[in-house]
Amino acid sequence: MATETWGQLKSLEGSKLEILDAEFTREVSKIIGGQDLTACFQCAKCSGGCPVSDKVNVQVHQLMRMLLFGLEEVLKTDMVWLCTTCYQCQQRCPQGINITDIIFGLKNMAFRKGINPPGYVASRKALYDSGKLYEPTDWERDDLGLGPVPPLDVAETRKVLDKTGLMKLREGE
Amino acid sequence: MRAVAKELEVELLDFEGASCCGTVVLKSIDEPSWLALSGRNIALAEKRGHDIVTPCNGCFGSLKDTAHILNHDEAVRKTTNKTLMALGLKFTGRAKIRHFVEVLYDMRNEIKGRIVKPLTGLRIAFHPGCHLLRPSTVAGFDDPELPHKVDELLELTGARSIPWGLKLRCCGSPLLIASEAVASSVLKEKMISAREAGASCVVTNCPACHTQFDVQVLGLKDEGGQPLELPALFVTQVLGLAMGLEPDSLGLQLNRVSLDPIRDVLGI
Repeated sequence: MATETWGQLKSLEGSKLEILDAEFTREVSKIIGGQDLTACFQCAKCSGGCPVSDKVNVQVHQLMRMLLFGLEEVLKTDMVWLCTTCYQCQQRCPQGINITDIIFGLKNMAFRKGINPPGYVASRKALYDSGKLYEPTDWERDDLGLGPVPPLDVAETRKVLDKTGLMKLREGE
Repeated sequence: MRAVAKELEVELLDFEGASCCGTVVLKSIDEPSWLALSGRNIALAEKRGHDIVTPCNGCFGSLKDTAHILNHDEAVRKTTNKTLMALGLKFTGRAKIRHFVEVLYDMRNEIKGRIVKPLTGLRIAFHPGCHLLRPSTVAGFDDPELPHKVDELLELTGARSIPWGLKLRCCGSPLLIASEAVASSVLKEKMISAREAGASCVVTNCPACHTQFDVQVLGLKDEGGQPLELPALFVTQVLGLAMGLEPDSLGLQLNRVSLDPIRDVLGI
């Protein structure tokens, strides 16, 4: 199923991968949780509890090993963006590796390279433009006797997001 | 949430100037931006000497996670505070960040005394959701493998929180942005599990999860073509009804999946 929905790298089998890019492994080890990459002994408990294990082409424990091997193609696997962020892998990892946090770091890297589902580009714009991801439904608030949502000065949130460079994450932005 | 808080004499202040927490969406795009946006909300509350309470696992997880990182990583805290300085704000870690069910759990004895309309016979598949529990080092609320606190609250009403196989499983909501197909397939598995356990309804404590169970579920069918919908209630709707509050004040008229199968037991 996931093959049709997201992820350019469809299978590890038969794929020619760039191998052992030590620079990539070093880069990954700098992200939150990334310093524990070598602690993974491939027990695959992470994949055992993962809600999308049976729906992806590359599972969490395989992703973890790809990182150690310096395989940058990992950013093109469906596991990165189809991680639900449920934290079950991280909660249960017998080696205490912050796996979900590592995947968040990989998403950041992939987004900077333009490898992401299109919905994230729209969400980034919404957050920058309005400081919100979702707009309140006025008729529902009316129905519940709720007044308007307290005001937000968008100039303030934009100032913050300008400083962090949210709209300039990619080359040429 | 407001109706139940009022009944329990908990004073809620609207959070003026708050933005979106950024949730896992912004954390996925750019962590420094997420820490700054979410950190701004926390710093704003701190400046006013307030704590933050939310009825949403997404906000709870995002704000708690932000506070956890900023409290434990001095370098990141310095960077984030440098950004917030432009607004005259500073994260200090003083504000408590609480999910509304934590507040309710602390008041469980009081709630017990206010149950006037027992919901005997209601079989609840309670869905705690992910970020209320995990990672437990950040959430710090309940046992991540055998949670019981919200179940205890729900059972004060005379309803039963039943065990079900995929109780701890994600509802699929965060995947709506990447792939609706995969989000629905995760939800489908949850619904089949709730049905197999003999649940008469699903109860949530997160608006994002709730949307999965009350909106995205509409039209979803199992392999045999049977609809997978079950009445979906928010935790405060269950407690509020048992406390004798008006159904309309609890927003029951806004629930999308029909409540007909459980109207009698809910007394509505």
